Amino acid sequence: MPPRKATSTNAVVRTTVVTCVHVIDALNNAIGRSVAWLTVGMVLGYCLVVVLRYAFGIGSIALQESVTYMHALVFMLAAAYTLRADGHVRVDIFYRGWSQRRQDGVNLFGSLFLLLPLSLFLLLASWGYVSDSWARSETSVEAGGLAYVYLLKTVILIMAAQLIGAALARAGEAGLRLTQRQTP
Amino acid sequence: MAAIAALMFACVCAVLLLGYPVAFTLGGVALLFGLGGALFDVFSFGELLAMPSRLFGTMTNETLIAVPLFIFMGVMLERSRIAEQLLDSIAVLFGPMRGGLGITVVLVGALLAASTGIVGATVVTMGLLSLPTMLKRGYDPRVATGTVCASGTLGQVIPPSIILVLLGDVLSSAYQRAQNNLGVFNTETVSVGDLFAGALLPGLLLVVLYILYLLWLAWRAPERVPAIPEQQRREMHSGGIGVLLFAGLLPPLLLILSVLGSIMLGVATPTEAAAVGAFGASLLALVRGQLSLDTLRTVVENTTKITSMVFMILIGASLFSLVFSAFEGDLAVHALLESLPGGTFTAMAVVMLVMFLLGFILDFIEITFVVVPIVGPVLLTMGLDPVWLGVMMAINLQTSFLTPPFGFALFYLRGVAPPEISTGDIYRGVMPFIIIQLFALGLLAAFPGLATWLPAIIYGG
Repeated sequence: MPPRKATSTNAVVRTTVVTCVHVIDALNNAIGRSVAWLTVGMVLGYCLVVVLRYAFGIGSIALQESVTYMHALVFMLAAAYTLRADGHVRVDIFYRGWSQRRQDGVNLFGSLFLLLPLSLFLLLASWGYVSDSWARSETSVEAGGLAYVYLLKTVILIMAAQLIGAALARAGEAGLRLTQRQTP
Repeated sequence: MAAIAALMFACVCAVLLLGYPVAFTLGGVALLFGLGGALFDVFSFGELLAMPSRLFGTMTNETLIAVPLFIFMGVMLERSRIAEQLLDSIAVLFGPMRGGLGITVVLVGALLAASTGIVGATVVTMGLLSLPTMLKRGYDPRVATGTVCASGTLGQVIPPSIILVLLGDVLSSAYQRAQNNLGVFNTETVSVGDLFAGALLPGLLLVVLYILYLLWLAWRAPERVPAIPEQQRREMHSGGIGVLLFAGLLPPLLLILSVLGSIMLGVATPTEAAAVGAFGASLLALVRGQLSLDTLRTVVENTTKITSMVFMILIGASLFSLVFSAFEGDLAVHALLESLPGGTFTAMAVVMLVMFLLGFILDFIEITFVVVPIVGPVLLTMGLDPVWLGVMMAINLQTSFLTPPFGFALFYLRGVAPPEISTGDIYRGVMPFIIIQLFALGLLAAFPGLATWLPAIIYGG
């Protein structure tokens, strides 16, 4: 960022926002990049299911459910990381041609008025649903299935929290650019 | 109240045009309307609390596990450059023929169906892969761009595209609801496998029609689709044609055909075939020395991003349909479609037209998750065949993506086409393919057997 004159409170606020954006993004990216490797686990796991079934006639519910768990972890916990990488598809008929400033405006608006309420809602609405599952130590309904349904459901809360962070980070990022004084 | 549902739909479309990610726009707008509805006592807040269990249902949906696996396979074929080598080797095979390069592009578009989920991605890939080659070999830019657009979207309607997996899943629950409406409780089901089998013949029909068009061009206007000269062909396969075919063409072809074949023969479920296909693609890349740790990292990260994108749209759309039906919007659509004069035929025609128009602003995935759950049960209650309906929708949308001035495919191709190609060239180039699409759509409407015959043979439905 080019040096410029600014009131010290303004500078402090900006630095704080920059730091927060960095911390949130680093955390979400680390989580996203890690769960990405579970896709390899899914491929291998399901191939093993196939081999066991067709070659040995063994059906393993536990193995099958672990692939399901990995699948859920991948797309839920990578949602914020995907947002950071701009991987969520947009209807960009107009967006594509707009100036950076205008795109920042869209992202600021969307982060604060669409994604933030949505992820807050998911967090609050799922709280009871998940804590109920914990209280019962909910297990799979299938015989031989995994006993960690309550943990899987908790993923909803983690995703919601990640998205709240991501919404704030994206809003912060867009806001910083929008309020940056035009330097010659 | 249904008016509010309609307003919500219009609002979503308007906000989508701003360009904020689709998944969160769908969910966010629906939430605001939902909170409004609960606040003004249109329905109880409790209705919105169905969301967590719906979300959990998506997380544990067995059918949809095929989606990331197919994406993995497609991304692996692309990133390890196997797809590129496939294109090269088919080009050498058909190169001596006028129009051969165009035919190559059509065939590769069809073969790479597995990776086809997002219109943009495939058209861009196909465009980057084949447009420069075609132009360099002296193809008329109109023919070249038209062929790339059409082939890039072709993969969507050919199994095992992930679009058909998603559509199959949505249609299967729509069909269940339709049968409940009719009071049929020993329910028949429609599976992803059924839809794959149903889409195969119509998909191949399109391939054949595209190729016939290119052959016709080669005959009537050979200068627009020249053959690759002898000398250039030699440069392309310095290692001899046999090596090229065995290394470049046969393995990926076998892989794709065995994935498809095992599903068609009913040997494997789509998810099983997808897992084995993804493993096979990785093995192929490894054997060829084209799978470094970096490549693998790119593959898993791209797979993850695409998967998350797809499922977030599904989650956003599921909140949308929750609120939409809380406002009784689905009942209104149902009543509207049933009150149309001309019965099932008009209802189907109206739905197809609306989907065609929505195709201008929404991608296939969004339409599958937002529109199909609303109109699907109505049309199926009227007695339409689910497989036929699914294939009609798929080809209809593919046509929509090709249609100027708003077609998605055209925008994306514009983005990767060299500047000397005018947008007008792209529009004119795609026209013959649109005519082919409409012809195929008409044929399928007149002879539903094209879609329903094969599933009946295979699955005895």
